Amino acid sequence: MTAVLEMRGIGKAFNAVAALDAVDFDCRAGEVHVICGENGAGKSTLMKVLGGSYRPDAGEVLLDGKSVRFLHPREARAAGISIVHQELSLLPFRTVAENIFTGMEPTRWGLLDRPRMQDRARALLQRLGSAIRPDALVADLSIAEQQLVEIAKAMLVDAKVLVMDEPTAALDDRDARSLLDLVLRMKAEGVAIIYISHRMPEVMAIADRVTVLKDGRRVWTRDRADVTVNAIVTAMVGRELQDFYPARSPTAPGSPVLEVRGGGNAQLRDIDFVARAGEIVGVAGLEDSRKSVLAQALFGDAPFTAGQVRIDGQPARLRSPREAAAVGIGYLPGDRKREGIAPRQSVRDNALLTLQAMAPVLSSPQGGARSRPEVDQSLNDMDVRAGDFGQEIATLSGGNQQKAIIARWLMQEPRVFVFVEPTRGIDVAAKAAIYETMRALANSGRAIVMVSSDLPEIIGVSDRILVMHQGRIAGELPAGAEEGAVMRLALGVAAATVAGEMAS
Amino acid sequence: MTAIPDTVRPSRRVSIRGLNFALLIFVVLYAMIAVLQPNYLEAGLFMNFLRRAAPLVILACGQLYVILSGGFDLSMGAVVTLVVLAASMLIGGDPAMTWPVIVALYAMGLAVGLANGAIVAFLKVPSIIATLGTMLLVNGLALAWSGGAPRGDLPDNFRNLGRLVLRDVPLVGTLPVAVIILVGATLLAGWGLHRTAYGKRLLAVGDNPRAAELAGVPVKPTRISAFVVSALAAVTAGILIGGFSGVSVNAGRGLELQAIAACVIGGAQLLGGRGSVAGALFGSLSLFALFTLLNLLGLPQALRDSLQGVILIAAVGASVLRHRRST
Repeated sequence: MTAVLEMRGIGKAFNAVAALDAVDFDCRAGEVHVICGENGAGKSTLMKVLGGSYRPDAGEVLLDGKSVRFLHPREARAAGISIVHQELSLLPFRTVAENIFTGMEPTRWGLLDRPRMQDRARALLQRLGSAIRPDALVADLSIAEQQLVEIAKAMLVDAKVLVMDEPTAALDDRDARSLLDLVLRMKAEGVAIIYISHRMPEVMAIADRVTVLKDGRRVWTRDRADVTVNAIVTAMVGRELQDFYPARSPTAPGSPVLEVRGGGNAQLRDIDFVARAGEIVGVAGLEDSRKSVLAQALFGDAPFTAGQVRIDGQPARLRSPREAAAVGIGYLPGDRKREGIAPRQSVRDNALLTLQAMAPVLSSPQGGARSRPEVDQSLNDMDVRAGDFGQEIATLSGGNQQKAIIARWLMQEPRVFVFVEPTRGIDVAAKAAIYETMRALANSGRAIVMVSSDLPEIIGVSDRILVMHQGRIAGELPAGAEEGAVMRLALGVAAATVAGEMAS
Repeated sequence: MTAIPDTVRPSRRVSIRGLNFALLIFVVLYAMIAVLQPNYLEAGLFMNFLRRAAPLVILACGQLYVILSGGFDLSMGAVVTLVVLAASMLIGGDPAMTWPVIVALYAMGLAVGLANGAIVAFLKVPSIIATLGTMLLVNGLALAWSGGAPRGDLPDNFRNLGRLVLRDVPLVGTLPVAVIILVGATLLAGWGLHRTAYGKRLLAVGDNPRAAELAGVPVKPTRISAFVVSALAAVTAGILIGGFSGVSVNAGRGLELQAIAACVIGGAQLLGGRGSVAGALFGSLSLFALFTLLNLLGLPQALRDSLQGVILIAAVGASVLRHRRST
């Protein structure tokens, strides 16, 4: 069988950082080709090249043996490549039929041909085995139904190649299973299906071939018969640890500072863990593991609705970030621009913001008793490089902004620090400085919780590693654990209760 | 770096551009007035100019709080109208009632401010819509209450707040009470914004509400308080306007837009995060000087509104260009 789609030697770099490096990939009619890879391995970039969102720096894409160059996603769609994105792109207050036909509405005498649109939408949905009414509002549908509409939209143009990017991430087991049935049905119709997923049971159940990407390169492509879960995990991980991680503390951790018992909310279940004085607890997990939701829960941003949190043995209520800050939790947000800095305020005011927030309303803006030299001292201690601390923080580099936000919390003297993706998007030198700061904070008797998608960072920095999978803590690993062990827990392979059901 | 004395505040640095700009415009406009009417350079006429500009300055200071928090308050003019009409009816010409009624007026302002703030903070209605709604509501209630034709009179001790001029004051010669109120209100607004933790919270909320929330800032109370400050400023301005213009159902018409224009001329950034009270002060003086100039030139009153529209657009456009270059 010949390949419908062939991608040869695809390369793509962003700011001189290679996201894809000479990747070969192909997909045949009537097969499900699964792509696996760690966060940032290049899966999404590859699919964006395919879908016309990015233009490759090197290599070529062949569709039915002919070389194609897409300048716009619309061209890719017209050529028969449909992508169902992880985050749904439907218009919530339009009907199902309107969504399916967005951008390619049938017309008659220049006017919208609504009856034909309804009929074709109904036919399409029936073909997918669904009884969703074409005139229903998308906002009224469940996530699973919306996913189905998204697929119907993709099938409208007689897709030759259908890309599904973690389609089951937001679905429960039952809906996930019916989605897999649908995938198999489309496969039987001869569609070439590219399926991106972290869920190993799913992968093993539907794949015809599997490709593993790592750091922008293809590790291997194999037939289903030659693949085991262990082989996939081994291929996904295994990078060299860099040596800029600071030495761990020689002393054993002290008494528990942060204790969570039976914590849960709409997205988290059965969260039980302890962070002790002097230790850095790493929280790892894949994109759909909801590890960032755990960070938000600890900081009262997406509060726990069940369970109990204690800080230094005292029960603590964490219903808002303000309450969390008041009981001694510091929080370094993952998205610095959106959640960290107030861009037009000075570096100094950004560093003072939490003190100002917690101080009496009409007290001096220096944040209570603290004087300006102390603020500057704190910024200097963090080695924030700025010409003048009075300049707007937006003018600093990402690393310096991050250090200023750490300084903000240092002055508040929290007992627990929650770091979310502390080094995302900052350069190597600033990374090392932030790791050292984290270690120093731990050594001064604080408990650090570090949520990160960067596996080497998790392993290099943490004293203990909690691995999350689908809103639960799947397991705990000691310092310096193998990447493979972390990945197995993150993929839910160890807790493979779902696996049997999926396979059947 | 650590030895910088405590007097240079970072907020100064941020606002200085806007301040210079507004101060320059004011000086140029006032010079043009002086060319047409040289006696405007006398202390007495300058004091009179300040007295008449006082309501606009106070409104602009209040409006500035809301603009810095990332919103607009369109209900200010309606509150001024309410204050003038309510004062005339509640006092009913009885001087003994003046002070109790003033307390009641501030209570009404507080209620409007809290309502605006609560609608914006809890219902998440965009402030421009929410305050447009309260503007219509308050205006309508005030007119219905007064029956369209205001009855009652304002006693002298009420009107003196806007009208009385103290004579034989050392240094300045004459000193209107309204100017004392103007100075007091401006200093209070400047202190609240630039010398308190509250002011910093307000700027952070306007700049990036999500970051402010995650830094522990109580975002909703801060937002609501800005609308309360704005409404209380409107009450103060209304008392002065009632003092020197007397009772009219149009007392506050269009003032909210003048206040917004004044803030923008003074360098405040629409949608929040950047601006200063000094800028708002000179922005409103510039605007008022312009109106005075147009009067002296004999331009029809109607054109004043059109010109104000042009200035508003020009000032916002200029501030966008200025900041685009710098970031």
